[in-house]
Amino acid sequence: MNRIVRDIAIGVLVVAVLAAVPHLIPSKAFQDFVIRCSSMALFATSLNLLVGYTGLSSFGHGLFFGLGTYSFALLMQKTGISLPVAFIATLLITTVTAIAVGAICIRLRLIYFAFVTLAMQMLMHSVIISWVGLTGGDQGLQGGIPRRVVAGIDLGNQYNLYIFAAVVLVIGLLMMRHIVNTSFGTSLRMIRDNETRAAFLGIVVWRVKLTVFVLSAVFASVGGIVMSLFVSGAYPELINWPISGDAIFAIVMGGVGSFLGPTVGTMILLLLNDVVTRQTEYYGLALGIIILAFALGLRRGLLDFITERLGGRPAGGIS
Amino acid sequence: MHDNKAARLGRRTVLAASAAALAMPAVARAQANPLKIGIQSIFSGPIALLGTSSRGAIQPEIDRINAAGGLLGRQIQPIYRDSKGQPQEAARVARELVNTDGCEILLDAEASSGAYAVQEVVRDLGVLCVHSNSETSSLTADPKLRVATAFRSARQGVHDAIVGGAHSAKVATAKKLSKWATCSPDYAFGRDTTAQFLEFLKHFKPDIEVLSQGWPKLGAPDFTEVITKILQAKPQALYSALYAGDLSAFVNQGNVYALFSAMQVFVPAMGDLPVLTAVKNLPAGIQSANRYLPTFPATAENAAWGAAYRKNNNNDYPTNWSWENSTAIRFIEAAVKKAGSTDGKKAAAALEGLTIDSPFSTTGKVTMRAEDHTLIDYAIGWGTTVPKEPFVIDMEPGDWGQIAELEKEWKKSNGYI
Repeated sequence: MNRIVRDIAIGVLVVAVLAAVPHLIPSKAFQDFVIRCSSMALFATSLNLLVGYTGLSSFGHGLFFGLGTYSFALLMQKTGISLPVAFIATLLITTVTAIAVGAICIRLRLIYFAFVTLAMQMLMHSVIISWVGLTGGDQGLQGGIPRRVVAGIDLGNQYNLYIFAAVVLVIGLLMMRHIVNTSFGTSLRMIRDNETRAAFLGIVVWRVKLTVFVLSAVFASVGGIVMSLFVSGAYPELINWPISGDAIFAIVMGGVGSFLGPTVGTMILLLLNDVVTRQTEYYGLALGIIILAFALGLRRGLLDFITERLGGRPAGGIS
Repeated sequence: MHDNKAARLGRRTVLAASAAALAMPAVARAQANPLKIGIQSIFSGPIALLGTSSRGAIQPEIDRINAAGGLLGRQIQPIYRDSKGQPQEAARVARELVNTDGCEILLDAEASSGAYAVQEVVRDLGVLCVHSNSETSSLTADPKLRVATAFRSARQGVHDAIVGGAHSAKVATAKKLSKWATCSPDYAFGRDTTAQFLEFLKHFKPDIEVLSQGWPKLGAPDFTEVITKILQAKPQALYSALYAGDLSAFVNQGNVYALFSAMQVFVPAMGDLPVLTAVKNLPAGIQSANRYLPTFPATAENAAWGAAYRKNNNNDYPTNWSWENSTAIRFIEAAVKKAGSTDGKKAAAALEGLTIDSPFSTTGKVTMRAEDHTLIDYAIGWGTTVPKEPFVIDMEPGDWGQIAELEKEWKKSNGYI
């Protein structure tokens, strides 16, 4: 209980600080950074529920991120419903899809699981590219997102969207943090470390796996909604397989064993992107070298490295 | 003693140098206050040519303006940035260029999906923006997508379809070609362009029968299957919306099967120099539109512009994107001069309906149409390929009166007006 109160207090503090920053430093680039960070950090952390906590390496998690952007943008454009309703409806669509996809995927293990999730994502990407009448195909969903006003607050305004993104990120992280700290979270780690033993101890493995698969899909789709509001639309690049790669990079760079690892990784990745893109057109080369340095130099994500140096054991602990 | 003196001198030199260094930026700022233009495109990956051949035309134009004293007395400072072809990066980069780098004007040289993302950012920011590479008609034709301060200095899909339909119908009537096949890339652009072409072809020549439609995947290295399918259908004519690397690969492989002597082929994107020069044995007699040709319009200004581009760019050929971006800068220059300001609203008001001199027009002038913020009167026409330079001959210019009339009908049928 104390832990929850402490986490919530930290979360409120973070939002308060972020809300104050624009009054001290009026940098719109910083606000953009936080909005994108919110989207990608939710996505990467949700993937880490599978990769770090359950030992399920999904290569196709971008499916749910992209599904979030498309469902939300389409609901806002084609129907007259308000933003909060579209938000909830998007989560429901994601839940139903994740149950169907998860039911097929979680039967498989290791590389087979990874590749079937990837195949599912590519399938959805193909559907979006081909269904030109609904999605605009490869040109993306054009025309912007209308009615971005919630309770009198216009999310079309950058500062408002910035606060909204920060609040969504903090709430999302708190909820995921709570999930991994419950007995359900313990079951996840047990399955990761020894699936057979977990089954013998009475854990219904497939049910736990399917539940965490659906939960992580829902959080990824929240990240997608934030991205959809940021770009004011939905584009096939947001559901194509490299977006899953971005989340995996974020986890690798931040640390698979620490709860905030993927968030830190996302910040590193986005900062690198922004700084390197300003300097050179050889972005891929620069990023590749830095990832190699992480893999060969630190041999783990930054946050895992720091935690271990300080003598602690990462909470998610890959043993 | 000697050492001491040297050291003192050293200190003085250092002090003087630091003072100069501190004063320099202030002096430079007072003199310059550059006018920053944000230019975003794809500069890396497989379609980096989009960005590099755009920049290759933009930079000489900016150098010309700066050498003549700048714009409103301020030197133009271009800031080029790579979006890597990702719409979310395009949106981010557009915001960064305006909000962080202090760009007063955006030149959006993105491909279509990037351009749509930038359009939404411009809607929020209200700066003057010229889209220079997106040819997708709805960007400016659809009133729901239109933005008050955004314009397009590029050719437009529907213009190409009308001129292509009119010209192809004329050739088809003369040569009695009624059985057709198509072969276009399998994504929205390929399918839309092909459907639009057929629509206008049938408008001019209703007795058209389409026997076969092939849809090769984008970037497919092997066209054998598609080519044999076309040959088996035995059409009299073939239309293809393939372009760039895919098109040169298609022509090279089609040559092996003698595809181009078996039927009359119509390829709008053939008339672009990088494609024409990448084909090993360019077949004679392909009907092609111009993308950019230094020989069309056949004026001294156009030829000189083409030669200057090659001189400025390591002898690389200019592309369709090059003239479109050159035109973008010329429009920005004229609009800002006329408005006396870079303010989004004022410059946009000046740019609406503006006509400027241009080497890329058969009349010597191009116009930014006021009603839908898009370019008209640019050189658009069809000719016949020959294996050697100038590669495309007998260019027949499209009729802008006819284009405007049919474009209006097309807009009505799409509910745009």
